[in-house]
Amino acid sequence: MNVMVKAEGVHKSFGHVEVLKGIDLEVEQGEVFCLIGPSGSGKSTFLRCINHLEKVNAGRLYVDGELVGYRQKGDKLYELKDSEVALKRRDIGMVFQRFNLFPHMTALENVMEAPVQVKGESKAEARERAGRLLDRVGLADKAGNYPSQLSGGQQQRVAIARALAMEPKLMLFDEPTSALDPELVGDVLDVMRDLAESGMTMIVVTHEMGFAREVGDSLVFMDEGVVVESGNPRDVLNDPQHERTKSFLSKVL
Amino acid sequence: MTVDIDKQGPEDVPPAGPEAIKAVPVRHYGRYLSALVAIAVLTAIVLAFARGNINWGAIPDYFFDARIVDGAKETLLLTVLSMAIGVGGGVLLAVMRLSKNPVTSSIAWFYIWFFRGTPVLVQLFVWFNLGFVFDYINLGPVYKDEWSDFMTPFLTALLGLGLNEAAYMSEICRAGLLAVDEGQTEAAHALGMSHSKTLRRVVLPQAMRVIVPPTGNEVINMLKTTSLVAAVQYYELLRNAQDIGQSSGATVEVLFLAAAWYLIMTSILSVGQFYLERYYARGSSRQLPPTPWQKVKANMLSLRRPEVTR
Repeated sequence: MNVMVKAEGVHKSFGHVEVLKGIDLEVEQGEVFCLIGPSGSGKSTFLRCINHLEKVNAGRLYVDGELVGYRQKGDKLYELKDSEVALKRRDIGMVFQRFNLFPHMTALENVMEAPVQVKGESKAEARERAGRLLDRVGLADKAGNYPSQLSGGQQQRVAIARALAMEPKLMLFDEPTSALDPELVGDVLDVMRDLAESGMTMIVVTHEMGFAREVGDSLVFMDEGVVVESGNPRDVLNDPQHERTKSFLSKVL
Repeated sequence: MTVDIDKQGPEDVPPAGPEAIKAVPVRHYGRYLSALVAIAVLTAIVLAFARGNINWGAIPDYFFDARIVDGAKETLLLTVLSMAIGVGGGVLLAVMRLSKNPVTSSIAWFYIWFFRGTPVLVQLFVWFNLGFVFDYINLGPVYKDEWSDFMTPFLTALLGLGLNEAAYMSEICRAGLLAVDEGQTEAAHALGMSHSKTLRRVVLPQAMRVIVPPTGNEVINMLKTTSLVAAVQYYELLRNAQDIGQSSGATVEVLFLAAAWYLIMTSILSVGQFYLERYYARGSSRQLPPTPWQKVKANMLSLRRPEVTR
């Protein structure tokens, strides 16, 4: 199996606060990789490091065999230019907790924006594909609506379609259902399940243990910036080995 | 727009329930008194002016005088061009101030500090008198001329007003840019958009909602401030009006006339501002506010169907 994401001793600090204290993990291609843990454990920060929204302070992070944010020549590391970072981000889709749809564009325009502006696709082509993507997430009839006219669940599904429009090889989900009414969580998870079945590599920071158990291929429990426990989601969730994992799961399950 | 007609029931009978309260309302004598005083003062002022030594007939006589119409055109032209310099320079300065480069951000800070901290009239005089400092302008192979031919009263007025305005506009633009949620930038970057594209496609259109209302204010202010450039020998509405006043003897009357022209122009600009705000509100409010024309149409519709509007 091809390794999609590889982390070696990843450290990250904000000022004097060390958020990640040496993360080592591997995500294989086609895998659904779930990150769980209490808030402040560093799971979102780690996710944001993968597409270089945050700079790693120490350690190495590779996506599809390429170093994130830097170029290595011999012993020396060279920081990548903004344009080079942007080029790599094209291949990594990201879905945010607060959706972050562009409020001044309709759902269709949101999905079309990156293919047209970043890849230089023709508008007709992008519109056609955006329509199909919206259909795929079950929102074909909402194409002309602005984000403010959509429910949270609908907005998040548009956000997923927007990320998919760039045809990424990796999708990052940062607590995609945490800002949603319980009723609306199901629709978003259905879309994600469908995406997982299509073979997309997905890293999902989530509190949805049901989703992790059912769809996840691997699961990592993080606490205070370190990986406490990892393995098959069903094994970890049913039979946690560490005290910290046990006490966390006893509160959320 | 759809009007929900069916929701309003046809019956006039108040709903049966607890008996409605019938009480003697409080009499606000203070309100009657203040209304009376205000009306009395207003009447006194109107009467004073009506009896004053004012030749009201002079106003319509000169209202469309060629010099006045020309002056109004000059005023408008100066307003539009100075605001263009102001907005363009303002966006540039705001981006400079927010940039991570300490040199550009300090220069922008210094520019704003200087141009906002000195009176615009002083700045106009400085531009006007730069002829004492420079004899000619030499931009290498591009342009070369005597200073006095280069710095016409028009250019003096334009630079004086425009560069001053840029300092104010940059603060307005900066406020707008800061008002856009950081998640928007992150989402755009995560999609692989460059900094400039993110700014142009995602951040600026949203910042416009915050930028447009105070900018409308600035345009109206600018239209009035152009009256200052009479001091640097530029002939606009006020200056032409004053000239007419001096030659015809209707000094005060032409000032009223000029005031009326300014009022008309600022009123038209306010209407433009309404439509601009409406345009940038798309997406942010679920239902756009109706335009005046739509309001009129809606009212006419309801007039034709009186049973709905009861």
